Amino acid sequence: MLVSKLKEAIICLKNLRVTLPYPFQPAPPAEGFRGRLELDINKCIGCGACLNACPPRLIRMTDQDVRRTIEFGLGRCTYCARCAEVCPERAISMTKEFELSTEDKKDLDITAELVMAKCGQCNTAYTTQRIVDKLMNQVAKEIGVEAAAKIG
Amino acid sequence: MQAWRIREPVMWLCEEMTGNRKTYGMNLIGGVRRDITADQYPKILEVISKIEGQLKEVISAIVGDTTLHLRLKNVGVLSPEAARRLCAVGPTARGSGVEIDSRVNHPYAAYAQVRPRIISHPEGDVWARTLVRLEETLESIRLVRQALEQMNAGDIMADVKEIPAWREGIAYVEAPRGESIHYVMTGPDNRPYRWRVRAPSYANLQTVPTMFQGNTIADAPIIVGSIDPCFSCTERMEVVDVKTKKIRVYSQEELRQMSRKR
Repeated sequence: MLVSKLKEAIICLKNLRVTLPYPFQPAPPAEGFRGRLELDINKCIGCGACLNACPPRLIRMTDQDVRRTIEFGLGRCTYCARCAEVCPERAISMTKEFELSTEDKKDLDITAELVMAKCGQCNTAYTTQRIVDKLMNQVAKEIGVEAAAKIG
Repeated sequence: MQAWRIREPVMWLCEEMTGNRKTYGMNLIGGVRRDITADQYPKILEVISKIEGQLKEVISAIVGDTTLHLRLKNVGVLSPEAARRLCAVGPTARGSGVEIDSRVNHPYAAYAQVRPRIISHPEGDVWARTLVRLEETLESIRLVRQALEQMNAGDIMADVKEIPAWREGIAYVEAPRGESIHYVMTGPDNRPYRWRVRAPSYANLQTVPTMFQGNTIADAPIIVGSIDPCFSCTERMEVVDVKTKKIRVYSQEELRQMSRKR
């Protein structure tokens, strides 16, 4: 009985206070942490791969005239990072940010707009200009720049 | 409180290995998303060795504590017959001497190679369930060591492209609280159409009325706590203002009012 109490006292005295002084001192997460999602609009080509992979389906893609709008409703994000994993252009990355409390869910939203390419025949916008550029670059690599320029 | 202290390095390790301390998000259809890196191996061994020593220290201190015996022994007794009849699972069953563990009874994954030892205590009281949980921590450490030793390098993900729609799958695992069963029906677009979970707390909660019989109201919290049910702890919220260093606790009623306003 007494031995048990002594052992317990020793454990408590040896460890004292172990709680970290967070939030008064920052507590950065480990490397590879899946925090708030970040979109690099300069890299995004608007392919929609993230939209198919997202389990809570919070990414929306809408086309209007010559603009493709991509919206991330991050109020529903589960931080699984599947979108970052499937993005062919590595435009999506997970930051180490985790202090995301807000009074308005919309504060977390990300909206991106991309210009679309129009079909030379029927004049309707069919996909983003960046996807067309990317494909043309690939074609140029395969058959040479001059031949690709001819196809236009 | 000492148990929480000992647990924390494990949470940090999980965060480093998976990207989050709780929502690991490691499993995908086809495999797991992150491999254990070379520098994580020694770290895992180091952390589990450290917590093994600390756990043994705590266990050796409290198993002989007569204050705890007076409070926990013969409280919330669940007989082996009642445990079987009410289909208790996990430590709730094993604390009543019912030696069931789906890792042993129906080995899945690699549990045929890494065999867990069933830990059970026959008394069926809150103390027996406490002992089962305590001793199982040491058994888990042994399993982690054994698994790391026997694990071979190799691919962690199979190439799965399309998942056929309208198929069904059912799987069971031995979770910390007992056998957990997941049912899934696949739908279009590689997504689940229906997902139904039978969590161990569902089975274990049925034993509580039996455990209550013949006990005082003061025993009720520790009896419910002894099955370690997965209750949400959201009925109050603490707000810390970093600038003024003021802490304010919102009550359940305040939160309810706020959620209705928005």
